[in-house]
Amino acid sequence: MGPGGISTEIAYVLGQTGGLSRTPADVFNTVYLVFLILGTLVGVVVIGYTLTKAWRYRDDGERDDESESDKVVRPVLGHLPTGSGGGKKLFVSFGISAVIVLSLIVWTYSALLFVDDTPPEVAAEGEEPLEIEVVGKQFNWEYTYPNGHTEEPTLYIPEDRPIRLKVTAADVWHNYGISEFRVKTDAIPGQTTTAWFVADETGTYEAVCYELCGSGHSAMRGDVVVMEQEEFEEWYANTTDGSTSASVNSDVTGDTDANANTNAADPAATEGEA
Amino acid sequence: MTEHADHDHEHHLPPKSSVKRWLVTTNHKDIGVLYIITSLFFLVAGGILAMMIRAQLWTPGGTLLGGQGYNQAVTSHGLLMVFWFISPFAFGLANYLVPLQIGADDLAFPRLNAMSYWVYLFSGLLFLTSFFLGSSLAGGWTIYQPLNVPAFIPEVNQVGSLATIFALMLFVAAVTMGSVNFLTTFYRMRAEGLRVRDMPLFSVSILLTVWMMLFAFAALLAAVILLSFDHLLGSVWFSTAEGGSLLWAHLFWFFGHPEVYIVFFPALGVMAEVFQTFSGKRIVGRKWFVIAMALVAIQSFVVWMHHMFLTAINLPIKTIFMATTIGISLPFDLMVFALIYTLAKGKIRFKTPFLFSFGALLLFILGGITGVFLGAVVLDYQFRGTYWVVAHFHYVMFGGGTALIGGLYYWYPKMTGKMYDEFLGKVHFAMFFVGFNLLYFPMFVVWETPRRVFDYAAEFTMWHRLATVGAFLFAASFLVMIYNMFKSLHSGEEAPDNPWEYASAGEWAVPSPPPLENYPGVPSYAGGKLSFLTRSEAADGGTVVEQEVAGTEQTAPDGGAIAHAGAAATTPTTDYAEELALEDEHADHASIWPFAISASAFVTFLGLSGISKAYFIWPFVFATGFMVAYFGIEGGRREGFGWIHPVVMALGGAIAAGGAYLLAIDKGGLGAAIDGASVYFWLTTVGAFMGAATLTQLGFEEFNVPEPAIAEQWPFEAVSNVKLGMWMFLGSDVILFGAFIGSYIFMRVGHGWTDWHHDFIPEAHVVLPGLINTYLLLASSFAVVLALVAARQQNRRRLLGYLITTFLLGVGFLINKAVEWEHLFHLHEGAFADGWTFTTNIASSSFYITTGLHGAHVAVGLLITLYLIVRAYNGAYLGEEEADTIEHFGLYWHFVDIVWLFLFPLFYIL
Repeated sequence: MGPGGISTEIAYVLGQTGGLSRTPADVFNTVYLVFLILGTLVGVVVIGYTLTKAWRYRDDGERDDESESDKVVRPVLGHLPTGSGGGKKLFVSFGISAVIVLSLIVWTYSALLFVDDTPPEVAAEGEEPLEIEVVGKQFNWEYTYPNGHTEEPTLYIPEDRPIRLKVTAADVWHNYGISEFRVKTDAIPGQTTTAWFVADETGTYEAVCYELCGSGHSAMRGDVVVMEQEEFEEWYANTTDGSTSASVNSDVTGDTDANANTNAADPAATEGEA
Repeated sequence: MTEHADHDHEHHLPPKSSVKRWLVTTNHKDIGVLYIITSLFFLVAGGILAMMIRAQLWTPGGTLLGGQGYNQAVTSHGLLMVFWFISPFAFGLANYLVPLQIGADDLAFPRLNAMSYWVYLFSGLLFLTSFFLGSSLAGGWTIYQPLNVPAFIPEVNQVGSLATIFALMLFVAAVTMGSVNFLTTFYRMRAEGLRVRDMPLFSVSILLTVWMMLFAFAALLAAVILLSFDHLLGSVWFSTAEGGSLLWAHLFWFFGHPEVYIVFFPALGVMAEVFQTFSGKRIVGRKWFVIAMALVAIQSFVVWMHHMFLTAINLPIKTIFMATTIGISLPFDLMVFALIYTLAKGKIRFKTPFLFSFGALLLFILGGITGVFLGAVVLDYQFRGTYWVVAHFHYVMFGGGTALIGGLYYWYPKMTGKMYDEFLGKVHFAMFFVGFNLLYFPMFVVWETPRRVFDYAAEFTMWHRLATVGAFLFAASFLVMIYNMFKSLHSGEEAPDNPWEYASAGEWAVPSPPPLENYPGVPSYAGGKLSFLTRSEAADGGTVVEQEVAGTEQTAPDGGAIAHAGAAATTPTTDYAEELALEDEHADHASIWPFAISASAFVTFLGLSGISKAYFIWPFVFATGFMVAYFGIEGGRREGFGWIHPVVMALGGAIAAGGAYLLAIDKGGLGAAIDGASVYFWLTTVGAFMGAATLTQLGFEEFNVPEPAIAEQWPFEAVSNVKLGMWMFLGSDVILFGAFIGSYIFMRVGHGWTDWHHDFIPEAHVVLPGLINTYLLLASSFAVVLALVAARQQNRRRLLGYLITTFLLGVGFLINKAVEWEHLFHLHEGAFADGWTFTTNIASSSFYITTGLHGAHVAVGLLITLYLIVRAYNGAYLGEEEADTIEHFGLYWHFVDIVWLFLFPLFYIL
């Protein structure tokens, strides 16, 4: 999360702050944060209210409710049911909740449009997106770069450049996701899905399968190595058309500041734990 | 209740202490109890699996279970809990209480109700058996494809996997029978003066649930049938690269989303009842509560694609489903607020049932809020496949389960006649609630853990351990409950008719436990409150109606003059009394055949799980021959021999002999055929023969179920129970065939509508056989209409003649189809040198299976026709009312014809 608190964050997601570039991860983290705060607030209010009422109107045998029971018609065995009054309060609360929910969802719609496409502003700002084809197969990921080079099971990508993934599966239904960069999409045989993200920090991360795909599903993970741009260019130049490497991480740097599973650096997770 | 025990004897029911009672009973209360006990058994089974999962997660990458074992555990846990525990648990309560709440003496079709239960039990047993047949299904409870087709299942696990699929299929059969039964009961058997909207909210919730079940489960049935054929015959529905995966996802989630509400609605009904009773207040905004529920039930069928947001569906569709998803959350807001506001000004007593219902509300609020997160598509993308989803649906679904457990405590005194132990109940709640939140809340915190993966980031360990500790506490709480239930059954306080102040629904106006016939007279709400009407002799020799108002001890004799409110205007009291007398008609309550048929189904499907493709059809050919012969034998034995009986017996023998001859040709000699048959073939054969015999016995059994003479039946006053039941069943069949046809269209569009013909279909697949069959079926429909006319005119010879004509036309249809298939199977043309079989391509798979299932409908219809012929020969069905059976069969037969009128152009012309 950038400096400036929530209001900046929101403006940021809405694309109103101009210069800053947004990434899907930024968008997710902000929307999640807003939902978390509002959700907690609503939860505390509603549950608090419910508990208070339940306690306030407990039947402890002491409460003298003769005056109140004049107003309340208690249910009688065998009588056809009627509703209690209080319909107005019901509709006011319902209205408020509907407004909260609807406005939240409408607000996130613009974020959806952003994540679902690579908007021109992002494309224009950095270089053009790097397009990589991903094929899921039991129990690994295979990547094909624009020059035809294939890599398995590690993905090498440059820092600060939009990466566009075209994802499919060779055998069964998988789901490709890199939690750190908030990118995820289904890998379905016979279908191609797309997703994009920006890695804003070098290091080694993990791509995980999020759809049960067989006995090796729990172990279907591959490294994602984010390199500085020049370093990547150098590595990429050494790959040739149609070459394949079942990669060994050692020839690439980035392990120095490796922060695999850096969930502590992830605002969302931190909020979640709070 | 000794007096009532005597009553039981009058109805040929053994006492409750006898095992036999529980095997033959068709009474809704007995079956309710059986459902509850059985579902708790499956809760324990699913719970043990959950404990294994949590134990595995104690450390990242635990090693208690292997990869396959873990997948099997998560899959079976999900399937058992969703299908075999939570819904049947709710329907145990519903079975017991709905008739009591709406003023019916039983469900509309008591034997069908028993059959639902037994099929449910045996489907669960088949599921548990699958563990011992290599492995049960291990591809997730959502059974995504193509992971769960044979190509991706190791050979040793295939029998068990198919057994699991069949278990699911049997379960759906049980659900469909139950839905038809409940719907007919709701619409035909309400007490006088009880409008649908006036039913207690638990009954309202069940009504809406069964409506959803009727249609949603038909989609699941279609999906599971297609999947079973992929296993059994090697068809290629879900292994087809172009769209197979997505086809499953659509079919599954079209069922799967309504299923969420199918699970949750009964819980909502329980919450509404318990909140009203224990706060001493009628629910706030009752009308809106009911409307909101009805809205959700309808909307639940248009949100399924929100489970597929990441599957490359386009933005406009995503937007629509995002909107419908948010739309469906709003009625729930209203219901939650209604429950909360009901507490205000109440006199709330924190008894165990209330604690559970109240706890359920709190859990559901949390589940609801986290669900709104999932409604935001950008968030949903990242939550997909993570513990956020796991935590969310456990809060919602087991939040519902929490209310249902409250319901069990609430109605325990009614069912057993004993009070449960309040202290132990509260202990249970405390452990349950703390355990629940310890178990599921940490899952939100470490939501980034991938679902169904036993390896996770090291820093999550603490949270996962907390969840594991919570899981064991949660599980232990159920031991307290089970102990409480057992102990109280023996040493609990005697429960009065109504142990709860402010309880208002009908079940509390009768003794605990209620007598077999439920009420001390005919229940009526005509005066705005429940009263029981009985007929008695007046001093002057006439008959009068006595009215006992529920909840009052003394009987208020309302003689002829004090007219009964509902009847006063139009009916003289004596007539009304005559109608009351009709209610005293003898009713049957015992039949062993539902149990026997279900056991046969178990054996048959166990056999089918391992049978080879080459042998699949033969057990059914032989069983059909046997069944036909058995019609002849039983018909003659029961009603006297005539020329028809030997003819039918000979026909049966001919079918069996013809089958044996063809089998021998196919396998190179009968000896070789027998040698080549596996034990699964024999199991299937034994099961199919048992099924043939028991179904026939059920058909011939005299089983009297009087329809209520005085009842609220809007909007189906003019339709008999059986006819309405048939309509309901056909309604679900429409969805079933709709799903098949939809699947065909989906796959064909996926491939390219016009290329389909060119790429997949041989020249030899011509229109003519289909056209001939169309004429045959249309003619047979006409013959059934004439048979009905003949029956109404009491003309036995013509009735028999038209039924036989129908039969022969149907047989012609099947023979024509067999010749056509035989030809296509053994093609040697160009691209199809090896024939055009089930496995050739998606076009052949869809052609054979869709028209084949229609053919199976025809075959079933023909068996019924033969049975009708045997009985008609002996003079059955003659007369205005007696002819109804022919009419009900006609409905089915015309429906089968209409289906063909859709299949013919789709598979032959277009």
